[in-house]
Amino acid sequence: MREFRKYVLPGDVIVEDNPHIKPLANVIKIDNRIHATRVGIAEVTQNGVKVIPLSGIYIPRVGDLVIGKIIDYSSLAWVVDINSCFLGHLLAQDVFGKEFTPSRDDLTSKFNLGDVIACRIVNFDRTRDPLLTVADKDLGKINNGEIVKISPSKVPRLIGKRGSMIQMIEQLTKCKIIVGQNGVLVVSDSSKEAINMAVRAIMLIEEEAHTSNLTQRVKDMLGGSIA
Amino acid sequence: MKRTSTIVEHLKRIQMIELLAKGKRLDGRGLIDYRELKIEVGLIKKANGSAMVKLGNTQVIAGIKVEVDEPFSDMPDKGLFICNAEVLPTASAYAEPGPPDEDAIELARVVDRGIRESEMIALDKLVLISGKKVYAVFADVSVLNTDGNLFDATSYAVVSALLTTRIPKYEVKDDRLVKTEDTIPLPINTIPVSVTMARIGDNIIVDPTSEEEMCMDARVTISTDDQGRICAMQKGNPGTFTLEQLNNAVSIAIDKGNEIRALIKSICAQAQVG
Amino acid sequence: MNMLMSDDWRRVDGRRWDELRTVKIEVGVLKNADGSAYIEFGKNKIVVAVYGPKEAHPKHLALPDRSILRCRYHMQPFSVDERKNPAPSRREIEISKVTREALEPALILEDYPRTVIDVFIEVLQSDGGSRCAGITAASVALADAGINMRDMVAACAAGKVAGRIVLDINDEEDKMGEADMPVAFLPNLKQISLLQLDGKLTKDEFKECLNLAIQGCMQVYKLQREALMRKYFSTEVEV
Repeated sequence: MREFRKYVLPGDVIVEDNPHIKPLANVIKIDNRIHATRVGIAEVTQNGVKVIPLSGIYIPRVGDLVIGKIIDYSSLAWVVDINSCFLGHLLAQDVFGKEFTPSRDDLTSKFNLGDVIACRIVNFDRTRDPLLTVADKDLGKINNGEIVKISPSKVPRLIGKRGSMIQMIEQLTKCKIIVGQNGVLVVSDSSKEAINMAVRAIMLIEEEAHTSNLTQRVKDMLGGSIA
Repeated sequence: MKRTSTIVEHLKRIQMIELLAKGKRLDGRGLIDYRELKIEVGLIKKANGSAMVKLGNTQVIAGIKVEVDEPFSDMPDKGLFICNAEVLPTASAYAEPGPPDEDAIELARVVDRGIRESEMIALDKLVLISGKKVYAVFADVSVLNTDGNLFDATSYAVVSALLTTRIPKYEVKDDRLVKTEDTIPLPINTIPVSVTMARIGDNIIVDPTSEEEMCMDARVTISTDDQGRICAMQKGNPGTFTLEQLNNAVSIAIDKGNEIRALIKSICAQAQVG
Repeated sequence: MNMLMSDDWRRVDGRRWDELRTVKIEVGVLKNADGSAYIEFGKNKIVVAVYGPKEAHPKHLALPDRSILRCRYHMQPFSVDERKNPAPSRREIEISKVTREALEPALILEDYPRTVIDVFIEVLQSDGGSRCAGITAASVALADAGINMRDMVAACAAGKVAGRIVLDINDEEDKMGEADMPVAFLPNLKQISLLQLDGKLTKDEFKECLNLAIQGCMQVYKLQREALMRKYFSTEVEV
């Protein structure tokens, strides 16, 4: 079976008359044809047909690390903007523990409006808003750094195969970069110039995520000025 | 969701204030620098005049339609000028379709005031038949994309559109109006320019972005004419200014106003010729 | 009915009977919108913004199993010969409805339960066929926003002017013509999602008119593809 990649737009027929091939992601099977449902790169392999999208907002997935902003709170939970169409909820119990009581424990003592937090999606299904957690050593309030927002569909390219791309940027700029699957990143721990370089590299990847030889171009961009 | 729109990340706010102390802003500008201002005129041929303005990422479009109407009974020898402003639902995730809210109404009235009080258009020269027929100039401006400072962007769009408007020439024969084939420009006295400033802590910045507006304590919009006279002012937001800050703001408005006036003049002059 | 379409016959603006006006489409023109497009279709100038999927407000209006599509077709006061009052007219409300119904079959709304997708069509200048231009640009903006779609939607009108069936009627022709038929078409699934008729046509004239309109839609579809390819794959284009 022939494996191939090609650019597609919504409605484009990727394969037809092949009943054994599995539709995987961002495709739809109508009669005997598999159509793309997004603008992106179609990939046909032994495993099936999928489209890697090049645009679109973040749809939460359980297990994702996301960077959010506290925008509201009640006596029992914080409401978190996770750059998606759904608002995330962080329960007070997650932070204060099982002994939490609203009368004694004040939510604002931990997180306040505008605070930026790294959190993980614990629960999300079609019937309720995503539930978040900060109960892990790499999660919690982020106290310094520059916030960068990119299209969530470009995050996989930014991270690279087994983290190769993002690690390369961190090494060459000596920055720490926290990457949220929701397209929100925090760049920190270095000089202003180094942070600017890292941000430029990130913008380049967002712009050219669909092209080949990107890793080399990013390396060239950063190679000339090592922090 | 109005709530989300007013909350800026704590990290960004800290960064903003640190930079302001050094006389700089998040996008690298100095305290009294404007963003890039792009003006395109004459793009809507069905309108008598039109202008599209891009001030940074804030984008607005103004169109002028001129009709012949009856004057107001208490001002028989003056033409009419009516200014409307709308923030379109395309402008941001928080803009809703529907009748203008208090912010949009304030925007429309402030733009109108700056133009009317400066007497930019010589309304007395818009009379065709005294007490019966005058030109009525309708200015409609819509915000397509917001990134702060709607006051200045909408004002520049309306002013530029008015400067490049052509109206049909009428002749009066036996107390009746006859439309000719010719077009003439509007009778213009001056070019008012609006300058909007925001106070964040003790810093006064010019041309705030959306993020800066979300962090500002107060803002003031000041319109000046080409003689350096102040023709309109509006303080906004539930914060305050000291006397010294306002006096300083007036000086900035006059200086920056002159710079922008020169830019608007050259763009509109080029359009007339070309 | 005249079946002889001589290539010499020209319309008021110089076009042949089967010729589209000049069309230009740009993708991603508004910074804040999730997806956006700008279209010039002859003298029509229209900008479309898509916001969504996003949370439904108020919550009780949300549907548990799918998203709700909302469309607003709105004309600027200066977009037509006689200044138009900014308040929505009955015509705009009807066009908003048929536009929504033209786009909905192409969207996979079941993928986004409890949300809303807003499409805002702003007509900056209008000259006949603005609803078709609006639908065309809206489809591009929806693709730009990354909303899951079964197909694109391309729209074009055909009609009868001076006794002949012609493609893409402008404002002047509409005023003096005998029929105007806007059509929206899903090009890969080969389905019609918008059909309206203003005027009088015989059964045969209707068939001919519809076929011509669909041909027009396919031409418009090609332009939609080029515009999206330009924005997304500009460094390595293969249309």
